Amino acid sequence: MQDLVQLLVSGVALGSVYALAALGFVTIYSATGIVNFAAGQFVMFGAMFGVTTVLQLGLPMPMAILLAVAMMGVFGFLFYLGVHLPLRTQSPVTVVIATVMIGLSMQNGANLIWGSVPFRLPSPFGDGTLTVFDSAISTHALASIGITAVLVAALYVLMQHSSLGRVMRAVAQDFPTARLMGLPVGLLLACSWAIAAVLAGFAGLLIAPMWFADAHMGDAIALKAFAATIIGGFGSVPGAIAGGLFVGLAEILGASYISSAYKDLLCFGAMVVFLVARPQGIFGEPISERG
Amino acid sequence: MAFLEVKAVSKDYGGVRALSDVSFQVKQGEFHSVIGPNGAGKSTLINLLTGLARPTRGAIVFEGCDISSRKTHEIIGMGVGRIFQNGRLFERLTVLENVMMGHSARKPPSLLRLAYSPRNASVDQAESREAALQMLERFGLAQYAGRQIGSLSYGSRRLVEMAKVMVGRPKLLLLDEPAAGLNSGEVERLMSLLQVLRKEHQLSVVLIEHNMNMVMRLAERITVLNFGKKLAEGTPAQVSANETVLAAYLGEGYRSAAL
Amino acid sequence: MNKKNAKNASLILALVLSLGAASLLPNAVGEYWVRLTNAALISSAAVLGLNFVLGYAGQISMMHASVAGMGAYAVAIGTVKFGLNPWLGCLIGMATAGAFSYVTGILLLRLKGHYFALATLGINVSFIIVVSNLVEITGGSNGLTGIPALTILGFAFDSERRFYYLALVAVVLLAVFASYVRHSQLGRSMIAVRDDELAASVSGLNVTAVKVTALTLGGVYAGVAGVMFALHARFVAPEDFSTSTSIVYLAMLVVGGEATILGSILGAFVITFLPEWLRWLGSAYLVIFGLLVLLMLFLAPRGLAGLFGFAWSKWKAQLSSKEAGKWRFSK
Repeated sequence: MQDLVQLLVSGVALGSVYALAALGFVTIYSATGIVNFAAGQFVMFGAMFGVTTVLQLGLPMPMAILLAVAMMGVFGFLFYLGVHLPLRTQSPVTVVIATVMIGLSMQNGANLIWGSVPFRLPSPFGDGTLTVFDSAISTHALASIGITAVLVAALYVLMQHSSLGRVMRAVAQDFPTARLMGLPVGLLLACSWAIAAVLAGFAGLLIAPMWFADAHMGDAIALKAFAATIIGGFGSVPGAIAGGLFVGLAEILGASYISSAYKDLLCFGAMVVFLVARPQGIFGEPISERG
Repeated sequence: MAFLEVKAVSKDYGGVRALSDVSFQVKQGEFHSVIGPNGAGKSTLINLLTGLARPTRGAIVFEGCDISSRKTHEIIGMGVGRIFQNGRLFERLTVLENVMMGHSARKPPSLLRLAYSPRNASVDQAESREAALQMLERFGLAQYAGRQIGSLSYGSRRLVEMAKVMVGRPKLLLLDEPAAGLNSGEVERLMSLLQVLRKEHQLSVVLIEHNMNMVMRLAERITVLNFGKKLAEGTPAQVSANETVLAAYLGEGYRSAAL
Repeated sequence: MNKKNAKNASLILALVLSLGAASLLPNAVGEYWVRLTNAALISSAAVLGLNFVLGYAGQISMMHASVAGMGAYAVAIGTVKFGLNPWLGCLIGMATAGAFSYVTGILLLRLKGHYFALATLGINVSFIIVVSNLVEITGGSNGLTGIPALTILGFAFDSERRFYYLALVAVVLLAVFASYVRHSQLGRSMIAVRDDELAASVSGLNVTAVKVTALTLGGVYAGVAGVMFALHARFVAPEDFSTSTSIVYLAMLVVGGEATILGSILGAFVITFLPEWLRWLGSAYLVIFGLLVLLMLFLAPRGLAGLFGFAWSKWKAQLSSKEAGKWRFSK
């Protein structure tokens, strides 16, 4: 029973992080219709920025985290300028391939900048444990769940109840009309990218203490995030969360009870099952057609 | 048994009801027109007729067969042809190749055939080519056969699309605002073309149009839609005199003009 | 008609010239360059296949390298573990690759494009995991060695030079068949599906069936590339068929020129030889590579073949405008 509680909490914690990564991906998809294949690398950059601010610059933890998140925001904005904007007139296929290529550059650039030796990034919440139901649960795991909940709530408030969120949704729903109405669509799209990057950044900062931080962590995370969105319901926010939790739990429980070597296959297998049997995922894809 | 029967069809998109309990029939060989203000559900109706959407309620029956949940290419294969509002053609293919695509339902492309009986494949190809060239000549477009689509005028593009559809020898032709963007001379030519095609191929036609001149002169029966519901149905004379239709769409000025 | 004839003519000319020069190659350059050329030819086979999937039918496949891997491992396992004749191994490899692509297509191509793209990423990753873990059968991460060379009537293709001729013939045959498909109803249908899926289905095309055919054909080509790889290197390991390799195939197609046969081969060669030309970049190579391809997408979305085509039509326009100028006042 003890083991199970620990596994469940770990699964939910990991799932929360996957949900954040998936949310970053979904934010871009719903705002721009772009399938960002570099999503995993965004998460990796978040972790690596954390490595720089926490380990290499040695800043006090709260400042280091904030700085890393801010760097991610700026990175998202630059990504919009450097990748999305020049390609906005091209076909979706071209844009997707562009994200694949930039992802490759990001991964190898990170390898160049930070080297190939993995880093041990300490948790902002220390490495203590709490005892819950006779099980030792790491504070980091609990904090990850908490932070994710806070971020999701913040995102909800931003999108549904602020004027910025309202205009961002307008741009997402009907780009040509928003443009004609005089909305600063470029700026709003840049905001979407910045928000997506920040979410990915948090995912990276939260997942790195669970494993380690290195330039190649992005690929595995990308796959989990993609599987999460498909399982939960492509393009939907509740879908990203539900899917993320599902994938996290499946990975932890699967690694424990079935096999550790094939744990990634489980997630992929679940994705295929959903694609074949219920492609719209748990929550279904939002009906809005992308023109 | 009616040729085409729309039976109590409703279509919901999320919270929006695009069509509400619409029924009408089209007899074989009939020229039927569907008119109504924008947003009345006319394009939705055509999408349902070609399998691009499924009715939420009701059924669509073509030649006795329920096509409500059939796939688009199957419906096209049954003899339905559709002309789009803005002339959808394949940009990377030439005019001739575009028209040859009209054969896709009757002669589906097959890799096995290509690999194992190249002779048969090339015979098929030659036949397709011949048929396409003949149709282009028929439409007066033969000189454009090798051209890229991008170099054609708007009116010519429409004609190429029509040639493509006719190559498939449809029994029922669905036209979605074919006169849009054409000047009056081109509209006249389009109308006589439709008359000729109808006679030559025993076509039944469902025409969605705003150009009342065209509708009233060509249609034998008209169905009027408004806000997704059927407002009226009848002959051109009946519909032009119908009070509710005049109020909702045609306008009082039409009555006095028609008299 | 003229443009098509001109295109055909230039293609045939290019082929003939290349074949002529190509058959002399091994005598002119050292073995290192022949080996590199062989690698480029193997990639050409794969990219010609990817051209059907992406260039014509517009489907992004991130699993192309793993499909090639299936062909390669089929030959490896067949010859090393079961002592099969390498030719038989080739057939099994191509069939496996094709069959896998067909099944994947049936299951996934009825869905929207982005589902397919993401799923193929998962497939490639899963392939690597499975191959790396089934140590008994596949040799795990260390791979399988000792694959015999292909032989015809006692003549073994066991050196770079000998393999070169085999690879050359193979790629030429693949290219000719690809051209045959391109100019058939099937090829046009694939192009139509990418251009306008809606219009394609309303023309009576079974869009999913066309996509599945494109994927299957692409898979068979990938299988050919895989068996060629196995019979060239005489050794297979999972890392040769990773997602990075799939990405490289995509880059080759994009850089060379999507939807052209010449472009597929051109891209394969350029990207294969690129590390040689950019050797001075050292470990920054892959970073620059990604950025270069990105730049290519900005500036020349039709790839190198597109640039040549553009230059060709400009040159032709120059010639014809001179002609037109002569008659300008003779109305």
